[in-house]
Amino acid sequence: MSIWLLLHYKLPSKPSALRVYIWRKLKRVGAILLHEAVWVLPDNPRTAEQVQWLAAEIQEMGGNAYYWRANTILGQHEQSMVQQFNEQVDAVYSDLLKKLEKPRADLQEISKHYQQAASQDFFHSKLGMLVREKLTSKRGEKL
Amino acid sequence: MKWVTWENIGVDRMACAWLIRRWIDPEAEFLFIPMGEKSIPEDAEPFDIPGVRYSHHGGHSTFHVFLKEHKLNVPILTRIAQMVDEADEIQEVTVEPAALGLDLICRGLRRISKDDFEAIERGQLIYEALYAELSRDEV
Repeated sequence: MSIWLLLHYKLPSKPSALRVYIWRKLKRVGAILLHEAVWVLPDNPRTAEQVQWLAAEIQEMGGNAYYWRANTILGQHEQSMVQQFNEQVDAVYSDLLKKLEKPRADLQEISKHYQQAASQDFFHSKLGMLVREKLTSKRGEKL
Repeated sequence: MKWVTWENIGVDRMACAWLIRRWIDPEAEFLFIPMGEKSIPEDAEPFDIPGVRYSHHGGHSTFHVFLKEHKLNVPILTRIAQMVDEADEIQEVTVEPAALGLDLICRGLRRISKDDFEAIERGQLIYEALYAELSRDEV
C-alpha cells in the first residue's frame, strides 16, 4: 500500500505572487492538486523533506500549512492516484519519444527534459524506461 | 558550544555540521533530538529545525542561512550552498547538477552509519572533499 503526503495551506491574499510562487514549487516537484483543495505527493524521504520545508516557508510568509501522511481506504483510489501520477510523466515521455524519432534529434535537450520528468516519475513508468533506453542507445550515433 | 538538530540527518545537516566545525566553532559538539521534538536543550543552539534562527529561510537551505548569518563570503562556500539549496529545497532554477548526487550520497551515508554521530563524522569527509575539489577550480 502506498503512503501519501497531503498538503493544504492558506496564504495571505496579498501579494498574490506568493500563491503563484508556492504553486510553481509544487508543480515543479510533480505534486498533484486534487479537487482544487489538497496537494498530493507519494511519500519518500526526498518528498517528505521538500514538503516539510515548503510548509515552513508558507508559515514564514504569514500563511498556515498542514501536512499529513496518509493512505487511501479504498484500493481503487490508490490506483487512481498512481494513474494520475503516471499520466503526468507519460505526457512528457511520449512527447520526448516523438522528438527522438526525428532525424537529428537534439539529444542534449531531450535528456534534460528526461531528467526533469524522471525526477517526478514516482512509479517507474514503462514509457520512461523506453525513453531512457532510446536516449542511451542513440548516444554516440553519427548523424 | 553545543548544537542540536533533529535525528536522521541528510545533505543539509551534514553540510552544516562540517561548516560549523570548520568555519564557526571548531569545538562544536552535536546533539540529536527526535524529529518533531519541540523542547530544545537550553544550553544548545538548534539548527535545521523549522522556525529557529538557523533554519531554512526564504526558500534557502540552513547551510545557506549559516553563510549569511556569519557573513561567510567565500565563493566556494556559496557554491556549496547553491548545491545544498538544490538538493534540499524545491528550486525553480537549478544550476548545479551535482546537487542530486550529493543528496543521494548523504542519504546513503546516513543509511550505512550506525547513528547520527557516526553519520556526522563521515559527512565531514564528503564536504571536505567537495570543498577541496571545488577549490582547484578557483583561479
